[in-house]
Amino acid sequence: MREKETTIYLGPQHPGITGNMMVKLKVAGDTIVKAETHVGYLHRAFEKLMEQRTWTQSFPIVCRICVPEPDPNEENLARAIEEIEGREVPERAKYIRVMVLELARLATYGLWMGGQSGSMGLYTMPQWTIGDRDYILDLFEELTGGRVYHMYIWAGGVRRDLPEGFTDRVLKTLDYLENRLPDYDNLLFNNALFQKRAQGVGIIPKDKAIEWGVVGPPLRGSGIKHDVRIDEPYEVYDKLNFIVPTSDGCDVWSRALVRRQEYEQSISIIRQVIEKMPKGDYYNKIPNPLTWQVPPGEAYVKTESARGEFGYYVVSDGSIKPRRVHVRGPAYVHGVSLLEKILVGANIADVSFIMNSLGTCPPEIER
Amino acid sequence: MHIQDCTENTCVDQIQKIFHTAEVEIQRKKRVKVKLRLDLVPLFLSYARDYLNFKHLAHISCVDWIEENEFELIFMLWSYEASLMIMVKTRVNREKPEFITLSHLWPQAETYEREIHEMYGINFKGNERLGEFILEDWEGVPPMRRDFDTIKYSKENFYQRPGREDAQDVRETISKHSGEEVPDFAKEFSIRRIEE
Repeated sequence: MREKETTIYLGPQHPGITGNMMVKLKVAGDTIVKAETHVGYLHRAFEKLMEQRTWTQSFPIVCRICVPEPDPNEENLARAIEEIEGREVPERAKYIRVMVLELARLATYGLWMGGQSGSMGLYTMPQWTIGDRDYILDLFEELTGGRVYHMYIWAGGVRRDLPEGFTDRVLKTLDYLENRLPDYDNLLFNNALFQKRAQGVGIIPKDKAIEWGVVGPPLRGSGIKHDVRIDEPYEVYDKLNFIVPTSDGCDVWSRALVRRQEYEQSISIIRQVIEKMPKGDYYNKIPNPLTWQVPPGEAYVKTESARGEFGYYVVSDGSIKPRRVHVRGPAYVHGVSLLEKILVGANIADVSFIMNSLGTCPPEIER
Repeated sequence: MHIQDCTENTCVDQIQKIFHTAEVEIQRKKRVKVKLRLDLVPLFLSYARDYLNFKHLAHISCVDWIEENEFELIFMLWSYEASLMIMVKTRVNREKPEFITLSHLWPQAETYEREIHEMYGINFKGNERLGEFILEDWEGVPPMRRDFDTIKYSKENFYQRPGREDAQDVRETISKHSGEEVPDFAKEFSIRRIEE
């Protein structure tokens, strides 16, 4: 006998995401037959707002596009403006930017580990990783004044230089985080329960991944070795040594392995940055921000965020305000067209689990 | 053409050889800008995808050039083999904005088109999911158009809570509520009420 189909509205609050987003599921028994993403709970019209703000006033807006990892937004907007204007950025500022971006990646992966294990009922892990993430937020607080939103990277460089002894504190925090990895492994990555739940679930076929617009860890978890930091190096990534981990399983487990290895790579990158960071200016001063006119032009810049390619298309018509700022977050594809595809055939209990593995962040979709 | 050989210059040559009317320029390293007539865009995009190997559709964007009565559509394609991006640009008439869907080439194009349809009112023929996406029960001018007046909309649809009206002098208000006097030095910096 054919099972009767039922509709379930999952969300907008549920453990699969940071933010609010609803998934309308058509299920037969426990199996998903059709999935539809519904967004709109977090639309704050940021792109429209920016058209009515000066260039500098746009920085406190863009960082709010992604709560777990706001820094790629600031860096992208800054770099787009610099590209249109032809503004040079001091070398030291570039190193500091990379340090901030990689610290943000570590903090995001901490949040992801918590979310991924929390969505399968392993609640010790979130308490550990969110607690450890706080040590990174302490560093951000000292450096920028803000724990979550930093508004630190801006056009021309960064807002202020590193405080006295800051790099030592970063190195100590990195040592601590590195020493925590065996604990994480024992509890999560070597956990038979996690492996059994994650293997063979949420498959993104290797031959379809690029065509479907998959980016970041989900792409590398399908065995495709691409990373913006290598393909189109920005800031000083071309001067640093790091590997791009991949895994061939195409499932949630593979994506977890990729992130686990990238965690170590980020620690290594930050250590290199601290070692190689030159002395000098940290800011190429912009004119009076209230009257600052960016010359007419356009730029598309992108960053490898913890969830994948983060792109900004910025247009200037020569006035004191942006003509257009369009944000391409990785969740734009992962949370809508990709999620709707790979949820078909999955169980209801795996929905949050799969969403976490894609790094779905609704504010990126609706902005 | 071998994909490994596809540099900015060879890419420009190849495009100009096939699409004579295209305006092609190298914007910077790893960026090639192609301006095309609207009707040639679908053809060009499938050519770029299948022959030049620009498999990754990174973004579709829209800009309202209200002064010229046109919308500009921008398609960003990335080639992983050549590490190169093509930015394809075309103009659509603002009076009757229409284009065709690209979801048969890239499934994620459907999402970008849904957003552009909702925010700018461009109709993508063949896209069956156009309609409510991010906004809810929206009526009137698509809000990302330049002629949508946000302040007017806000005044018509929302009200200020009593005592929280706009353009208040914050110091004066706090002083009124708390009974404390504003110090003389602070009075000089008081924000003036904006005349309506």
